[in-house]
Amino acid sequence: MSSPNQHSKPDLDETINVTRAHGRVANESAAAAREKHLSDSGHESVPLWVITACGVVLLIAGGVLGNAGTLFSYNNTFREGYVRGTAPGGSDSGPEAKAALAAFSAKGSKIYSAKCNGCHGADGKGDGANYPSLVGSAFVIEESQKFAMIILNGIQGPISTGKTYGAGIMPPQGAGMTPEDLAGVMTYVRNNFGNSTGDVVTVEMAKAALDLSASREKAGQSVTSEEILAKHKVMLPGEQMAPDMMVNPATLAPME
Amino acid sequence: MSSEVSQNLEQDAVLRASIDRSLRHPVMFFLTSGAAWLAVSIILGVISSAKVHSPGFLDGCGWLTYGRTQAAHVNALIYGWGFQAAFGVIVWMLSRLSRQECRASGIILTAGHVWNFGVSIGILGILAGYGTGMPWMEFPSFCWPVLLLSYFAIVVWSLVQFKVRPEGHVYISQWYLMAAMIWFPWVFITANVLLHVIPGNPVMAAGINAWYKSSLIFLFFTPVALGTAFYLVPKVSGRPIFSYSLAQFGFWALAVIMPWAGMQKLTGAPIPYFIPYLGAAATIMFFVPAFSAAVNILRTAIADPELVNHSPTLRFTMAGVIGLIVMAVAAVFLNIPGKTLEFTQFSMSGYGFEILAIYGFFSFVMFGAIYFIVPRVTRREWLSRRLIKWHFFLSVYGIVFIAVIAIFGGVQQGIGQEAFDQPWSEAAQRAFPYAVFITFVWFFIMLSNVFFFLHLTVMWLRLGRRSTHPTLLVSGHHGSPHGEDGDIDDAGSIAASAH
Repeated sequence: MSSPNQHSKPDLDETINVTRAHGRVANESAAAAREKHLSDSGHESVPLWVITACGVVLLIAGGVLGNAGTLFSYNNTFREGYVRGTAPGGSDSGPEAKAALAAFSAKGSKIYSAKCNGCHGADGKGDGANYPSLVGSAFVIEESQKFAMIILNGIQGPISTGKTYGAGIMPPQGAGMTPEDLAGVMTYVRNNFGNSTGDVVTVEMAKAALDLSASREKAGQSVTSEEILAKHKVMLPGEQMAPDMMVNPATLAPME
Repeated sequence: MSSEVSQNLEQDAVLRASIDRSLRHPVMFFLTSGAAWLAVSIILGVISSAKVHSPGFLDGCGWLTYGRTQAAHVNALIYGWGFQAAFGVIVWMLSRLSRQECRASGIILTAGHVWNFGVSIGILGILAGYGTGMPWMEFPSFCWPVLLLSYFAIVVWSLVQFKVRPEGHVYISQWYLMAAMIWFPWVFITANVLLHVIPGNPVMAAGINAWYKSSLIFLFFTPVALGTAFYLVPKVSGRPIFSYSLAQFGFWALAVIMPWAGMQKLTGAPIPYFIPYLGAAATIMFFVPAFSAAVNILRTAIADPELVNHSPTLRFTMAGVIGLIVMAVAAVFLNIPGKTLEFTQFSMSGYGFEILAIYGFFSFVMFGAIYFIVPRVTRREWLSRRLIKWHFFLSVYGIVFIAVIAIFGGVQQGIGQEAFDQPWSEAAQRAFPYAVFITFVWFFIMLSNVFFFLHLTVMWLRLGRRSTHPTLLVSGHHGSPHGEDGDIDDAGSIAASAH
């Protein structure tokens, strides 16, 4: 490829027609020659309205940042104290009502997977050696007070069948349990895995169980079969709830 | 003294001409194939937009379903047109600013072909159904290393030239272009590695994807276009930049603010609560670097309105800068959480904003640069001022309508989507008239770019006018519609005596 530079030294060779070569340079670089030089010497003052406009936008951006909560806190995925608002039009007034047995069981199944699943298994059958089965167990499906005391305090020694499983100790599970949690998990176990008492352990009953458990003689110690059979062979006090009563699945309170 | 000055000017012109000549092949390749991809992209855009309102259109062909054509349309626009136009402008402008001929034009041209190959395979992959489904990253995942390697082979020479430049001051365009050249691989590698190589939490992956899109706009296309505009306007008008310190401020504001933007698209998603707000605030603050740069450029050029009107370069560049102002205002109004963000988050106004950024701002400045660069590297003047005018008017009206319609239509659609107790078809119904209009307008933009592509191809074949007079957009009945007849240079046999 020929370089345009070869025409830029027209004087070197006398056979070159200087005018002609010069004209060629002028033509070849015509577009380049008519360009202006860049200059950075502009020092006009920035118009005030530009600064004002930018300032207004910075205020808006600051307002947005102000709503961002704690910056760089990677643990919060929602605003502190956030409550879901009602939908426009007001047609959304919380979750849809559900039949009591289904609603309590749904809540209970979550508690079960968190607290019970590890030992008694996803099918509630235990393993036969270390952990007993909950299916058809007298302590589970008979009087609800027995079942509540075992969940809340744990049990040591033999169980309803007289057999001792493993080391003979079930640790208490009551720590942090709300009445709703207890009501849910009891209803769930009493109506699943083949158990079907058909009744709902209500929140009121669960509350009574928590009180009972706290006021036991040997509060804080695990219960034994003897204690259960002697003192807790009754249903939990409280009004029965029909299994098809419509309740709020979140709070388990009856709904119209 | 005066002869010395003219001698210097002449040497200067010769040096510029030799730089232009050394880059003729890669630059013309990038610009022309970019323009071809732009035409392809717009045709795909027409098809995909038509499917929004007429689902039966071309429904027999699996290759042309909406999910594929829309992705191919956007990716062809970004990687086919946007990047190649940017490459052409970057390698040329940085050579000029470093005052050196390019010694690696063969390698750049080869790498440009590799890039083109990567884009072609990617687009075919999308149309064949192998797209990844990640917005702007739909190319099948084997494409990105190809693009990355060819990218380095294309731009590294400009960095070398900068390193060995003659002593001197670094001009604002160099700041912008060099920054874009360095930011792009950071953004590209980060996003692709985190999404393709070591995929993590899928919710965060969507966030990274949104950040990638936003970063390509704000950290690549915006600085390239601003650097170009800061070069072109003083070059054509001969005026110094209105306020050079404001230009420097704008650069640093862009650099500091824009990497935070993007994740507001995930407002309400289970990611750390502050992130979308940070993204929204940063996107709103885009106004500051954008508006200050736009005012700076406009004030530089506006001192001579006639020149802006006559010079194709300035006319397109100014249109792009006005597009930047609209984009900056839109960035504020579309991203206010709790007010507008929920309407724009999942609707076509996001698309409207992207088209505004890529076409309404970036592409217009690139068109301006192309009208400036091509006569220099081919040493032929643009053939027809009518073609330029058609390109300009169809593009300007087209982009104004598309951006306005998509942004407002998107808000309408968003309002429809927010009413979640209504059937989804209501939201689609709200968007319907806007979608029809968008198809219609894309069609005009397509016409405009067919003119442009043909004109550019003719220039590439060096069939442009041989003249020392630029093709200006002067109106009136005097003279030829194809510009002033200059002294026709038939390889130097006639001296340029007339002027």
